[in-house]
Amino acid sequence: MGFENKRTKFAVLAALFVLAAVLPLFLDNYTLNVLWNAMFYMLLALGLNIIVGYTGLCDLGYAAKFAIGAYTTGILIKTFGWNFWLTLPVSALVSALAACVIGAPTLKLRSDYLAIVTLGFAEIVRISARNLDITGSASGINAIERPYFFGIHLTKISHWYYVFFALVIVFIIISKRIRYSRFGRALAFIREDEDAAQAMGVNTTLFKLYAYIAGAVLGGITGSFYAVKMTSISPGSFDFTQSANILLAVILGGMGKIPGVIVGAAFFAIFPELFRDVPFVGNMRMLFFGLLLIVVMINRPQGLWPEKPVKR
Amino acid sequence: MALMQVSDLTMTFSGITAIENLTFNIEEGSITSLIGPNGAGKTSVFNCMTGFYKATNGNITFQGESLINLKPYKITQKGIIRTFQNVRLFKNLTVLENVISGTHRVTKQSVLGALLKYPAQRREEKEALKIAETCLETVGLSEKKHQLAKNLSYGDQRRTELARALAAKPKLLLLDEPAAGLNREEKNKLAEHIHFFRDKFGITVFLIEHDMDLVMKVSEKVVVVNFGGKIAEGTPEEIQANRLVIEAYLGTDEDEGGL
Amino acid sequence: MFSAWELILQQLVNGLILGSFYALVALGYSMVYGIIKLLNFAHGDIYMTGAFICLSVYGAVSGVLPGWTGIAVSVLAAMAVSGLLGFLAQKFAYRPLLSAPRLSLLITAIGVSLVISNTVMVITKSQPLFFTSGLDNSLGIKFGSITVTYIQIIMLAVSAILMISLTLFINRTMMGKAMRAIALDQDTCALVGINVNKIIGLTFVLGSALAAIAGGMACVYYGNVQYNMGYMIGIKAFTAAVIGGIGSVPGAMLGGILLGLLEALGTQFLGSSWKDVFAFGLLILILILRPNGLLGRSEIERM
Repeated sequence: MGFENKRTKFAVLAALFVLAAVLPLFLDNYTLNVLWNAMFYMLLALGLNIIVGYTGLCDLGYAAKFAIGAYTTGILIKTFGWNFWLTLPVSALVSALAACVIGAPTLKLRSDYLAIVTLGFAEIVRISARNLDITGSASGINAIERPYFFGIHLTKISHWYYVFFALVIVFIIISKRIRYSRFGRALAFIREDEDAAQAMGVNTTLFKLYAYIAGAVLGGITGSFYAVKMTSISPGSFDFTQSANILLAVILGGMGKIPGVIVGAAFFAIFPELFRDVPFVGNMRMLFFGLLLIVVMINRPQGLWPEKPVKR
Repeated sequence: MALMQVSDLTMTFSGITAIENLTFNIEEGSITSLIGPNGAGKTSVFNCMTGFYKATNGNITFQGESLINLKPYKITQKGIIRTFQNVRLFKNLTVLENVISGTHRVTKQSVLGALLKYPAQRREEKEALKIAETCLETVGLSEKKHQLAKNLSYGDQRRTELARALAAKPKLLLLDEPAAGLNREEKNKLAEHIHFFRDKFGITVFLIEHDMDLVMKVSEKVVVVNFGGKIAEGTPEEIQANRLVIEAYLGTDEDEGGL
Repeated sequence: MFSAWELILQQLVNGLILGSFYALVALGYSMVYGIIKLLNFAHGDIYMTGAFICLSVYGAVSGVLPGWTGIAVSVLAAMAVSGLLGFLAQKFAYRPLLSAPRLSLLITAIGVSLVISNTVMVITKSQPLFFTSGLDNSLGIKFGSITVTYIQIIMLAVSAILMISLTLFINRTMMGKAMRAIALDQDTCALVGINVNKIIGLTFVLGSALAAIAGGMACVYYGNVQYNMGYMIGIKAFTAAVIGGIGSVPGAMLGGILLGLLEALGTQFLGSSWKDVFAFGLLILILILRPNGLLGRSEIERM
């Protein structure tokens, strides 16, 4: 039975892959952009999932992580004329450093304190971006040059569709590898029972910091790609609503379950588009999400994605 | 020299003394029990030994090294593995994953290993899996390894916790009321396991227990505490004949012995 | 022109007013946190609801009852609505999760926050509402070239009276004692016959009513209400509660006033665009250096 299951799973995944790969040939630019946006949310949700879903830490300021990546790339390209691809390691490094600075002293605090610190830090990042000259103040950084990839100038939406599609696959592989490793299991132990994790020899503070850094780096990289795709970034894209949306996608979708997180993110990106032009309902979107959140937390604290069936 | 030495241990919580000048030794390769009426401070002793509480005074050494001020995970890394009074498994993980958590102490790979999956990482993963499978087999839970811990019966959860501790290859195994809530058959099995761990793997065992049958059956030495201090120490036979011990138990309203 | 000292004095008065708003909201945060360890993310929105109800009711009654009488009636109505809202949130959203992991509870609170703020957003069509009290804002006591208005004095007095009453309530009455007891040990309280659910409900009602008063006063003082105004003050009030020591009632008052004053001075010296950075920086620093706050007691780490 296990064998057949695996085969079905592989077949479904392969079919999805082929479908996703050929889609740009049939779709118009608007739809492609919506799909790109969905993949962008998937990346963010996969990154945050390591912090929230895997480790059980509450991060209310994930937007700051991708803001840091986006601004690092934006500034390096605009002000210093760097090549986009070279900004990626720097963006990862800056994100990791920021996560260290904010995480190292606070991760040993009570979990809900961490939530509020991440929120405060995100506000600091956003307000700084709005007021500093190097980040272009309120208008942000504009006309960021789009990169080349093996001679192809990435200007079309279909290009970005494929770039982000590849990124989603890379992020999924990273997530899977982390989950089924000593590192990832330690994170799960921390999430389930921090004292018991300590009792099994897990240096909980250190592993929480690793998770926090890993999530921040993935967020930073996503931010870098976002900056060159959009060609302009401004503080408005990184506010609390953004952080809340990503968090909700992770929690509603799956809390640690990768397919759940993917579906959750897609839902969050596509749902508003469907209701954009419907009067009244469009406005009530967040109201509806709020209600959904309460109901889901009370009835299915593990998220909407179903539990794995027991293997026999 | 004894494997673990507890000397003059004192622990106070905001004015209340839970442990007072407690001194005893755990000999290498022995099975030692700590008993005493409810509220005598047994679990506090345990928590001091494992770093979950900070002792107010006194010293605890393991293989000659002091454990005072070490974090719990550091103490675990030294080979002192504990179980919890109210079973604390990782509820939403499978039995197998729970038991693999024991191997955390004896493995090394971290973030890079996870991402790059180089050979050392793969080897270690296999090794950890093998250890866990063996431990599950030892406690007889192999068939249930893919179930979620929260779906197990209470007795099986206890056994999972034992397997998890065993997977950490303990030098000293601390069991906090391992028989609580078990039926007679499960208790007998537990006594067998404790003996087996010591005889087969040379693990020193220290347990807190209310169940006198179990204590008398497995222990080589028994330490009795009441009101945070030691009132007796000796072989099970000596303890059963000790007047102070009988008074400590009969003198209270609690009905703890032998149920 | 104002002299430097007059400017600072002016900022101190502003800071005191702002600080008393923070303190009143922080009290609700702190009481709820003390009693069920919930970081009630929706508390800022309860404050916003208070402001919104106050504005709406005053719009309806000001024809008959202009000035302070009308404002008093509106604030009372705001207290009633916010108190009820706090109670309902507690009963239907939080109580089922009291034994669940804290993360679930926190996320539910975010859900409640979204529901409240977006309901008001839909009602107000995302537009800010403006409030005209008809009170004369030029009357007051003069200190050199600056004036401390009667409105400001009344607000400070109301805040002071509320805080004193609350302190008395918590220390002297059976209800207050029960609240403190539940914060220490819920199970034992249930054993000795305290109706735990009732007291938790009461805590929410009380905290929400205080926030509503702050909201009502803010509406009179600043003259506008917007659906998302609860977010920022929610975080600020939480900051205040943490500065004072979360769970501590006098701590929340002290923390609120202190944060208000510091922020006013921060505005004076750093400029208004950086004042929030200043407040959040302070929050992070306090959490790192003194996680139990100024008046909070350290928790004994027990398992």
